[in-house]
Amino acid sequence: MKNKTLLSYRGPFYIELISVFGSNVRNYTNAYTNARKKLFRIFIELSQNVSNYSEDFHMVNNEYRIGVGELNLKEFENHFTFTTKNLIKRSDSTILVNRCNLINSSNISELRQLKREQRLNSPGEKFGARIGLIQAVMLSQNKIEYQYEEVDERFAYLSITVKIDKN
Amino acid sequence: MENILIKSSPDTPYFPEVNFNASSGLCEIAGESYMEETYKFFLPLTSWIKDYINIVNKNIELNIKLIYLNTSSTKCILDILEILKNYEDKGGKVKVVWYYDKEDPDMIDEVEDFEAESGIKIELREFN
Repeated sequence: MKNKTLLSYRGPFYIELISVFGSNVRNYTNAYTNARKKLFRIFIELSQNVSNYSEDFHMVNNEYRIGVGELNLKEFENHFTFTTKNLIKRSDSTILVNRCNLINSSNISELRQLKREQRLNSPGEKFGARIGLIQAVMLSQNKIEYQYEEVDERFAYLSITVKIDKN
Repeated sequence: MENILIKSSPDTPYFPEVNFNASSGLCEIAGESYMEETYKFFLPLTSWIKDYINIVNKNIELNIKLIYLNTSSTKCILDILEILKNYEDKGGKVKVVWYYDKEDPDMIDEVEDFEAESGIKIELREFN
């Protein structure tokens, strides 16, 4: 098997959609005990990052925003990859890229410590715990791949890919 | 004090089932938790526990039977555990039990992190 696209989507990341896609993700991975729980959890975390933080968004009832972005789930011989892509402010790019690099350069025990510190210090409420990316890497135990692509003077795309081993 | 009872629904699997009983002090959260605007869902639960401590001021037991919670929900659960730890430190009798699937080591790690971050003892029990 070279690779097979299992799921591909571009649009607003409504929870109702994420939930249905998540249910499909569980079905795709039924045969793989290691991947099944991990992939679903990573799928939810990264999808909700798009929903919460994409700079391209829909307003719902003038009350809250739903981020617009892309997701792509692929199956390979021994692993899956899950990719999300969304618009960010170029002024946030250094912070985000540094964050990806810090996560990639940390081992599991350092990530666990980082996760604890981040969660304790997060203001909570609408900001959540801000540990979704750390959690994704802790679950997959693989480094993330990221790509940064400038769009114009103000915005860029950031895509994040996580590899999840089947067994 | 009123009880809180939130039933689960297959249409909204991202909301957990909640049963907080003011007479027995038994509080249960079960299912999955990955809704949007997590803090808005958990705010009444956190307020209920604070009120229970201030008004009823009796034993409280929190049973968590979540098979999945997103990281935003973990922040809200941590807030609840910190409130319970504070109550325990002031003499309140508190018990926290976390039910887990033995084939889910990631959840066991999560519970260990909750213990370390909140300082409260969490009893682990396998799902039947």
